[in-house]
Amino acid sequence: MDAEKSALWVARGICKSFPGVQALDDVSLDIFPGEVHALLGENGSGKSTLVKCMAGVYIPDRGELLYHGVPLVFHNPTEARVHGIATIYQEFSLVPTLSVAENIFLGNYKTHTNNGMINWPVIREKTRKVLKQLSLSLDPDAIVKTLSVAEQQMVEIAKAVSIDSSLLIMDEPTAALGLTETKHLMDLIRLLTSQNKAILYISHRLDEVFEIADRVTILKDGHRVGTAPISELKMSDVVRMMIGFDIEQHYPKETHVQKIPCLEVQNISSGNGVNDISFTIHVGEVFGLGGMLGSGRTEIARAIYGLDRITKGRISLNGQEVKFNSPREAVHTGIGLIPENRKTDGSFFNFEGPKNITISRLKTILQGPWLSLSSEKKVGLTYIKKMNISATAMERSVKFLSGGNQQKVIIARWLFSQARLLIMDEPTQGIDIGAKLEIYKVINELTASGISVLLISSDIPELLAMSDRVAIVRDGHILQITEGSGMSEYELISTASGVGPDEKVPS
Amino acid sequence: MNLMKKYLQSTIAGPIFALLVVVVVIALITPRFLHPTNMSNVSLQVSLVAIVAIGGTLVILTGGIDLSPGSTVALVCVSLAYLVKNMGVPLPIGILLMLLLGLLLGFINGALSTFGKIPSFIVTLATMNIYRGIAFAITGGLTIFSVSPDLDPIFYGRFLGIPLPFYYVVILYGIAAIFLRNTIPGRSIYAVGGNEPAARLTGISVNRMRLLAFVLAGLTAAIAGVLETAWLNSGAPSYGSDLGLGSIGAAVIGGASLMGGYGNIVASLIGALIVAFVQNGLNLHAVQSAWQDITLGLVIILAVGLDMWRNSIGEFIGRLFQVSPPGRSKD
Repeated sequence: MDAEKSALWVARGICKSFPGVQALDDVSLDIFPGEVHALLGENGSGKSTLVKCMAGVYIPDRGELLYHGVPLVFHNPTEARVHGIATIYQEFSLVPTLSVAENIFLGNYKTHTNNGMINWPVIREKTRKVLKQLSLSLDPDAIVKTLSVAEQQMVEIAKAVSIDSSLLIMDEPTAALGLTETKHLMDLIRLLTSQNKAILYISHRLDEVFEIADRVTILKDGHRVGTAPISELKMSDVVRMMIGFDIEQHYPKETHVQKIPCLEVQNISSGNGVNDISFTIHVGEVFGLGGMLGSGRTEIARAIYGLDRITKGRISLNGQEVKFNSPREAVHTGIGLIPENRKTDGSFFNFEGPKNITISRLKTILQGPWLSLSSEKKVGLTYIKKMNISATAMERSVKFLSGGNQQKVIIARWLFSQARLLIMDEPTQGIDIGAKLEIYKVINELTASGISVLLISSDIPELLAMSDRVAIVRDGHILQITEGSGMSEYELISTASGVGPDEKVPS
Repeated sequence: MNLMKKYLQSTIAGPIFALLVVVVVIALITPRFLHPTNMSNVSLQVSLVAIVAIGGTLVILTGGIDLSPGSTVALVCVSLAYLVKNMGVPLPIGILLMLLLGLLLGFINGALSTFGKIPSFIVTLATMNIYRGIAFAITGGLTIFSVSPDLDPIFYGRFLGIPLPFYYVVILYGIAAIFLRNTIPGRSIYAVGGNEPAARLTGISVNRMRLLAFVLAGLTAAIAGVLETAWLNSGAPSYGSDLGLGSIGAAVIGGASLMGGYGNIVASLIGALIVAFVQNGLNLHAVQSAWQDITLGLVIILAVGLDMWRNSIGEFIGRLFQVSPPGRSKD
């Protein structure tokens, strides 16, 4: 209790659930002034939910937030900010068309007025002071959208400092930064902590965490696994705590790989961060892409699907060189995409199940010049039966289906259009275990019929179990390609997080 | 019984019910309302708005909006009058040229809204002014009278005792309904309006579909323009000024969502009828014409409001019974 009293901020017993998912279960965390406290965990461990509970975006179902021992409740992010918690998200909350000074004092103009008119000289002067405090050489009148991403991030930090926050929460701050910029950020963090500010640092990059953090808290599946000073831990310990000691789940993986190449990717780079990627997917193979958030896996998929322009390299599908300028061409040639965000990019909520299934190859249900609605109904029934989709999909909009059923409808769409290669981006995200198993079975059926799958998944056991081979991606490069069964979760995370070879301990 | 259940669940049930209520209420307080002569007049008056509403609905289904059809009508009236009266072009050729003009004007709207990347609201706001401006320029603001005696039967002719415009409306709506329900472009239009990123990812050419909607909207406006010229046997740059807003109103009252993807073409016809009947009712009671505009505005707000509030009302009721929205996944 004493430790809690001297702590700056304490989160105690935080519980938060969403329909079907317990995102946080009795998580506690304490932060001292002048400390860099790292928050680690795999994708889906509850990190961002915890941050949002502390930042006032969510109200926890249970648990308390204490400031200097005093319990507080934040009903919205503004309340959190007013009490001194500033959050810097990956997507900046700056107004690109306004200047640095205007952004830093956004929402704070009222306290700098002269008879109702904004006192710009005072604001500019204060901006200069804040920037000086952080050793930043930015022009207060520079328009934010002309600044580099790193500089914009500095403005965000300056904004947090200007309102005298006691705690800065930084979510993946180095995701968009290069080496020199990262170093500058580290220096800035040290400067802030010397001014007694506390930093809650969330990152997948263990090398950085070990460089800058004082203590580490690790979450897994909504639970706190442990908190310890960084000096007492080795990277291997951290990784092991992130993975946990789960009972080996049994994934129903079947192997149907044929020797024939389906997709051959040679040295491709795209305008969106793909850097000299090469790999081959064989017919009937599940090829996994593993890596941390922001590693470039989705960008690889976008390049293959014709969403991003390929600036270098070649792609061949079934032996023929192809160049897709749009998804339309990719779809036409037999590639399908099951997008990461099925609600915004995958399902048509204004259509029922059958219409969602036929939409990518309507020609198939043509009778003469007309679409045959009765054929479409039959198609719907066939796939509903085949893939065990809820029967309400026939008559009602798919928005009434569960996530798992919606996903199956989207998969049915590509089966119907006879795609030879399916790109699946986080196919079981947000789906319960029963539906997940059904999707794994579907993947087996796909590969058995000679369809290949490019699987992107942040669920590492799933990725390793269901893929025949896995490529580890970081910063748009492929670090290595191995057999799925020949790699442990531990090794994948280590490699993807940038843990050096001398740090890796065979598990 | 199954048919009954399907009917009640269909999106057209609401508008039909509203229409019935309107008809019953007006008929009860207005003795001359259901008289064949009056019905005949109404069908003439509503035909123009109804036809323009076809194109307007198509554009709205793709998630766009067309403010310009009234001006297309004006330009078509004036051009047709000019070609036939002042240049002696034979009427059939003139009409054909007008249909082509409609396609062109629609194409301009569509090209600017899709490849030009300008929001359709802005594009059609501009062309609304430009097209009518051109009409003014052609006649110098004057009306061209007595265009052609052959125009009269096009509008005032009858078949089996029913005015021809009634048939035009029925045929055009029939074509539109089949287009939307049973053709690939029709289905794609719904997909584009329902979820544009998903439509793109499933291989639909989003730009092409939105362009198509605008081109067809230009065509239906041109058809209305020809009919208006036939109705008044004249062409003036002031014609058709109510048709733009009226057609959007009809679509919206019929249940089309301005977000796109939701709507039934026949419901737009019902929307047009509701507006026409209400205006007719006001006419029969010798209400000042100013009230017609006010009524149209109020009906639109009521119709759209109910549509918007329906969601909040649904959510409110849902919260009462603690039903959480389906499909939420963890972040």
